[in-house]
Amino acid sequence: MIRKYVDVICLNDKGGNVKPLFLIWEDDKKIPIKKVKEICPRASLKVGGSGLRYTCVFEPNRIRHLYYDRGKWYVEMNDHVV
Amino acid sequence: MKKTILHCDLNCFFASVEMLYHPEYRNVPMAVAGDPEKRHGIILAKNVPAKKKGIRTAETINEALQKCPELIILKPDYHSYEYFSERVRDLYYEYTDRIEPFGVDECWLDISGSLSYFGGAEAIVSSLLNRIREEIGLTLSIGVSFNKVYAKLGSDMAKEDDFCRIDSLDDIRHLSASKLLFIGSHTCEILKSHGIYTIGDLADHPMGYLENILGKAGKTLYCYANGIGSDEITRYDHEAEMPKSISCCHTAERDLCSLDDFKIVLTMLCDEVATRLRKQGLYYRKVHLLLRTKQLKVRTMQMSLKENSDLAKDIYDNALALFERNADFSIPYRSIGVSVSDLSYQKQYRQTSLFEESAYSIRQKKQELAMQQIRDRFGKDAIVSLRVMEDQTLSRIGLKNNEPFEEVIHQ
Repeated sequence: MIRKYVDVICLNDKGGNVKPLFLIWEDDKKIPIKKVKEICPRASLKVGGSGLRYTCVFEPNRIRHLYYDRGKWYVEMNDHVV
Repeated sequence: MKKTILHCDLNCFFASVEMLYHPEYRNVPMAVAGDPEKRHGIILAKNVPAKKKGIRTAETINEALQKCPELIILKPDYHSYEYFSERVRDLYYEYTDRIEPFGVDECWLDISGSLSYFGGAEAIVSSLLNRIREEIGLTLSIGVSFNKVYAKLGSDMAKEDDFCRIDSLDDIRHLSASKLLFIGSHTCEILKSHGIYTIGDLADHPMGYLENILGKAGKTLYCYANGIGSDEITRYDHEAEMPKSISCCHTAERDLCSLDDFKIVLTMLCDEVATRLRKQGLYYRKVHLLLRTKQLKVRTMQMSLKENSDLAKDIYDNALALFERNADFSIPYRSIGVSVSDLSYQKQYRQTSLFEESAYSIRQKKQELAMQQIRDRFGKDAIVSLRVMEDQTLSRIGLKNNEPFEEVIHQ
C-alpha cells in the first residue's frame, strides 16, 4: 500500500473545526463526503504517516480513512490501483 | 509517601520518525546521520536491523559503512522531530502536568497525583504505550520508580514498547555502576580502581569515602545509588516556562586554529544566544564556554558577571576572557559552544558610578535590538558583524543558509 496525497475542499467553521466536504480525485472529479464518522489522532502504519484520521462516508457504505498530517491530506491506496 | 515517577524514552527516536514516513526502511539497516560536509557526519540514530549489524550511535559514517556497506543513511529532519516530540509531550499532559523534559525524546513524569484517577501506575503506563503506538506511531520504553534516577535506569532496562518497574535498590544492585545516570567512562574507571563495580558496591560505600575519591560528585552518586532525593519534578507551565540555561553550540566547517577564527564563530554564537534570551525577556548572570578539540575532548569553563545582562557583547567579552585565561591554540578546536545561565526575568539595577560607562550599554543594547529587528524582518544574513564576513567558510553555516544552530535548552 502507498500513501496518496489528495486535494480536499474543507469547511473551516467558526469553532475552528475542519470538516472535509469534497475529495478531488485525479480526473478532477469532486467526490462528496457525506459524513465524517470519527476524527481521532492515528498513525497509519500501513503506508506510513501520522496525524488526524477522519473516517469518512463517501457513498452509502463506502467508508475510507482520510488522514490530515501537517497541512496535507492523504488516503491509503493499494499499489496496483495507482 | 513515595512518589511514582515515570521516565519515558522514545525508542531510536530520529530513526523511528523516519520509518514512520518510510515504512520501506523498517526491515533494512537504516541510520540517521549528520552532514559529513559540515563535519557533522556521525550516526545520530539507527533502527533495529542496523543495530544488529553492530552500528553504534556517535560513530562516524565511514566506520558504520565499513561494518554495513548496504546501510541506508538519511539526513536528519529536525522540524519533524520537534513536531513529534511536541505531540508526544502534549499526550503526556493528559496524564499529569508535572513533566520534566530531558532532551527531545525523553521526559520524566510525576504521576503521583493522577494514580487514583487513572487506576494506578500500570494502567497509566499501558495506556501511554498503547496511545503513543496507535495515535502517533512511535514506541517508547518506560521506567517506573519512586525517583528520577531509578526511573531512568528502568527505561534503559525496559525493552522496546515495554516498561520496567524498580521498587528498591535490590532490583538494581547487580547492575554495572556505569548504567547509573551521569557515570561516564572516566568516573567508571576511577570507581573500578577503588573496587566499585556495581550499583550495589556504590550504595554500600560511605558517602565520605566517595567524596574523597570523586569530590562533590561523590555525594551526588551516593544519593543516586541509594535512591535518595531527585524526586522533585517541577510543574511545567506552557506559558511561563523559564529555562535554566540557553546554549548554542556549533561545529565549524574547518578546525579553528587561531584567535580570529575563534572570534568569528563566537560572534555568531553570542548573537544567537542573546537573540533567544531577549525573545523570552530573560537576563543572564553566568557565561559558560565549551570547547571541543579535534580529538573530541571537551573542556568547559564558566564565569559570573557582576550584574545581569542580556547583551551579546557581554557574552562575547566574557567568553573571550575565559578562553584567553584558560585555553590556547596548541590543539585546534572542532566546535565551540556558548551558554548562559542563572537566568531571571528582572534586570538588576545598581548604583551607577561617575566613571562607569552606563551610556555605553544603553547604546550597545539599541544597536543589538536594531540588528535583531532587521534579522527578524529580512532574514539572519541581512545584517552581520564585519568580523563574521571575514571568513566565508566559517560564517556560512547558520547565517547564510538560515539553518538552525545546534541548540540545547535545558528546562
